[in-house]
Amino acid sequence: MTQTASALDALVERALDLDKWAVARLVRLFEDTRHEAIAQRVEVIEALEARGRPPRAFIAGLTGTPGAGKSTLVGEIGARLIQRSETRAVAALAIDPTSQRSGGAILGDRTRVRFPTEERRLYFRSQASERNLGGIGRNTYPVVRLLERLFDIVLIETVGIGQSEIEVEQVSDRVYLVLQPMGGDQIQFMKAGIMEVPDVFVLNKADAGAAARRTYHTLRSSIDFARPGETEPPQIIQTSAITGAGLDELVDDMEQHIDTRRSASRRARYFLEKWIDDEYGRLGLQLLEQQGGADALLSSNGTFEAAQAAYRPPVAAR
Amino acid sequence: MVDAAQERQTHLLYDAKGEPTTDRPWIFRTYSGHSSARASNALYRSNLTAGQTGLSIAFDLPTQTGYSSDHPLAAPEVGKVGVPINSLDDFHVLFDQIPLEEMNTSMTINGTAMWLLSLYVALARERGDDVSKLQGTTQNDIVKEYLARGTYIFPPEPSFRMIAEMYEYCLDAVPKWNPSNICSYHLQEAGATPAQELAFALADAIGVLDVIRERGHVPEDRFESAIARVSFFVNSGIRFVEEMCKMRAFTEMWDEITSQRYGAKDPRTRLFRYGVQVNSLGLTEQQPENNAWRIILETLGVTLSRNARCRALQLPAWNEALSLPRPWDQQWALRLQQILAYETDLLEYPDIFDGAPVIESKVEDLKRQTREELARIDGMGGVRAAVESGYMKGQLVRSMSERMSRINNGEQIVVGVNRWTEAIESPLLKDAEGGIFVINEDDVRETVSALEATKARRDPARAQAALAALEAAARDGSNMMEPSIECALARVTTGEWADTLRKVFGEYRPPTGVEGQRLFLDGDRIDRLRERCEDFSRRNGHRPRIVVGKPGLDGHSNGAEVIAVAARHSGFDVIYSGIRLTPQEIVHSAVEEAADIIGVSILSGSHLALAQQIMDELKRAGADRHIPVIFGGIIPKQDHAALKDMGIARVFTPSDFDLADVVGAMLDVIEQQPVGA
Repeated sequence: MTQTASALDALVERALDLDKWAVARLVRLFEDTRHEAIAQRVEVIEALEARGRPPRAFIAGLTGTPGAGKSTLVGEIGARLIQRSETRAVAALAIDPTSQRSGGAILGDRTRVRFPTEERRLYFRSQASERNLGGIGRNTYPVVRLLERLFDIVLIETVGIGQSEIEVEQVSDRVYLVLQPMGGDQIQFMKAGIMEVPDVFVLNKADAGAAARRTYHTLRSSIDFARPGETEPPQIIQTSAITGAGLDELVDDMEQHIDTRRSASRRARYFLEKWIDDEYGRLGLQLLEQQGGADALLSSNGTFEAAQAAYRPPVAAR
Repeated sequence: MVDAAQERQTHLLYDAKGEPTTDRPWIFRTYSGHSSARASNALYRSNLTAGQTGLSIAFDLPTQTGYSSDHPLAAPEVGKVGVPINSLDDFHVLFDQIPLEEMNTSMTINGTAMWLLSLYVALARERGDDVSKLQGTTQNDIVKEYLARGTYIFPPEPSFRMIAEMYEYCLDAVPKWNPSNICSYHLQEAGATPAQELAFALADAIGVLDVIRERGHVPEDRFESAIARVSFFVNSGIRFVEEMCKMRAFTEMWDEITSQRYGAKDPRTRLFRYGVQVNSLGLTEQQPENNAWRIILETLGVTLSRNARCRALQLPAWNEALSLPRPWDQQWALRLQQILAYETDLLEYPDIFDGAPVIESKVEDLKRQTREELARIDGMGGVRAAVESGYMKGQLVRSMSERMSRINNGEQIVVGVNRWTEAIESPLLKDAEGGIFVINEDDVRETVSALEATKARRDPARAQAALAALEAAARDGSNMMEPSIECALARVTTGEWADTLRKVFGEYRPPTGVEGQRLFLDGDRIDRLRERCEDFSRRNGHRPRIVVGKPGLDGHSNGAEVIAVAARHSGFDVIYSGIRLTPQEIVHSAVEEAADIIGVSILSGSHLALAQQIMDELKRAGADRHIPVIFGGIIPKQDHAALKDMGIARVFTPSDFDLADVVGAMLDVIEQQPVGA
């Protein structure tokens, strides 16, 4: 793991060329839970900066009920996004739940996504949630920090919907809630928390006929009820991976918002505090305040990774 | 002549005239076919001469999954597990000198069943046979393909439509044909308990009949004829008393369902007609000669009870866990059937269990469990919903995991596997080929050149028009049988027929059933494995990551699934990439995921070719010295050294049944690897 600076540099060089093995090994570094990995991530980010590669990707978060067909959609969208431009590169990050008992995980999204193996402009990576709540993994944000400098679009597929699925909002620029045809009572049940989060609703499996039409109308009225007074009520895009319906519309929506970026500093602050909380708990957060707080640490060190490196943790914890 | 006044004796069988009689034996079959149409034709003719009374055709995987022999995915599989069929010309060779009108032909074919039936009808037409006299079965059970066997192509809706269209077509045109054969066989192989086997198979049959009824193409007054054509293909395991009771439960419940749900009046319509292949799952690689005894006992389960006796029987070969059977192995299996039917007194009696209270109670218990499960599936919206939601698959993966756990912890005794493992080596394994069947590469070349010749000879305009008509029928919802028969006559190839329908219907990927499963392996050994995984994570900054995949067209996914669940249970992150993958796709997954190890499951006999392709791909990606590869499956000992030479780090076979040992060995392999960033 201890990579020399020149070896890291060579890896970055190849990753910029979208060599899959190089990208994969850098992702492994950005997922690395060891403290000594932080310094190497700082180096990688510096090497990318030096080559004029700031964060540039539009980050789309796809969340939704289990079985709604998120993975299949990611596959279809990814293929279309690169067809529409000859230079665009797309990365997909799919998160699956970690077993509470064993700590292991089955990452099964690849069974539904088939990107052509020879296509460098598409990269797919599975990630375990590592017992994190909130729909994404502990390492999702750190990896997005890398991918957003290498790719033009990053698609994040969350674990599946729960009550606490709000972190996808923190990490992405635009949130798509993917649903499948279901009963009206199920929609009522969902309405509580999740209805306020998404920018776009995607009603997948729209080929399911009458059930899909019923769901569409119930959903439409539920959204208007849950989010009154919005000048632009969120769209519902109806899609079907079988017939291909609505997929272009969904891709259009992403392209239209490709320059819409949410505040990077707010995002970095949220995940820095979260990282410290995960690693060192309340004591760690108190120390962060004594060191000037997340914003000060971030601005004086430039990047999230440098701020992680500069943060002085509780001594006993190390 | 029996005097009318004379009382009939309970232990004798009487014919319609009141004469004492004996039963005719069931149909003896041997599941066979390999190499090429010509080689298989020779095999069938010699089997028929040896006293076999029906044909059971095994097709190779490309034929089963709708690829012609010249497709890249097909290349390593041509002729491996059955006969390759590319066009009607191959069928002419396959059935040369075999009288179609007299033959009862069973075809183990599912995703492409409509195509193979069309070829059979077209063959009869060209040979001048009476199509209405054709007899036999196309397996055509898509549910068990999704759940266990893996040779599906299309999504559930068009698949069920094709099954229904075959029933609708056969009703008048080929009235003695069984358009589909509901298979509980593969469900047991995938781990189903007797009650699950009963319930899932019956739910499947209900699904087929419901679709036919909803479509409304079969007139109401002829619906009973459609019911009468539903037949079953059942498994028989080693617990042979319970298996016999299962068969009685099947018989009674089918009678109940056909009369209550569909109003069938004729008792003959309500008969549970079934064929059997006895269990392969329980056959062991260790002390394989013991399998001969297992097969005999399993045969008793489906023959002892006259009321629930099978119509046709095929037996696996004693060495099936080692390799594909040779002709001698098949002959030995056939001899068992002949001894049972002709030497013993089995066929002289009425049902010997009628009125036995223990049997009745056991049958009632199975029926009760089955009704509960059927109600659950009905509540979900029927068999299609229960497949699409992953419910049925999840239940099977769980049962299989539980079975493996019981064998692992010694609760379930398997002789030679977890008890009495010390044994004298079997002399049966000492002959020249070491008990292994090897395929001749010349046969593959012969098949591919026959395909090229067919394409060169045919009228291209007729072939194109036939395909266009097929596509039009697929789109507008009209019956696709006649257009498929015209495709056959026009020398359309298997790949062209399937590709046309893929274009219209798309390809399906069913739920894997692996998610959310637990393995009941708790204990010190699992705790130690979890500690090793945690320790690995601390030292390497990530959990051990394995890519589990199944290359090629073979879809028996149970082995790969059990390994995936066991690894997750021990603390691995498992990237399960499913079945029917090219070696390129497996390596691509491992590279993108920065996996620590690749685990490949292979049962088709193509391990040498696939190993070479995988190692070449890894080298091309620059990851060959970073990601070790392990193989598991039915891989003969003779090939282990060659695989090691190619760079395969470990080879696991069915004798490595201890999952904790397997996961431990995977960790050993990873730890031996120089760790990269």
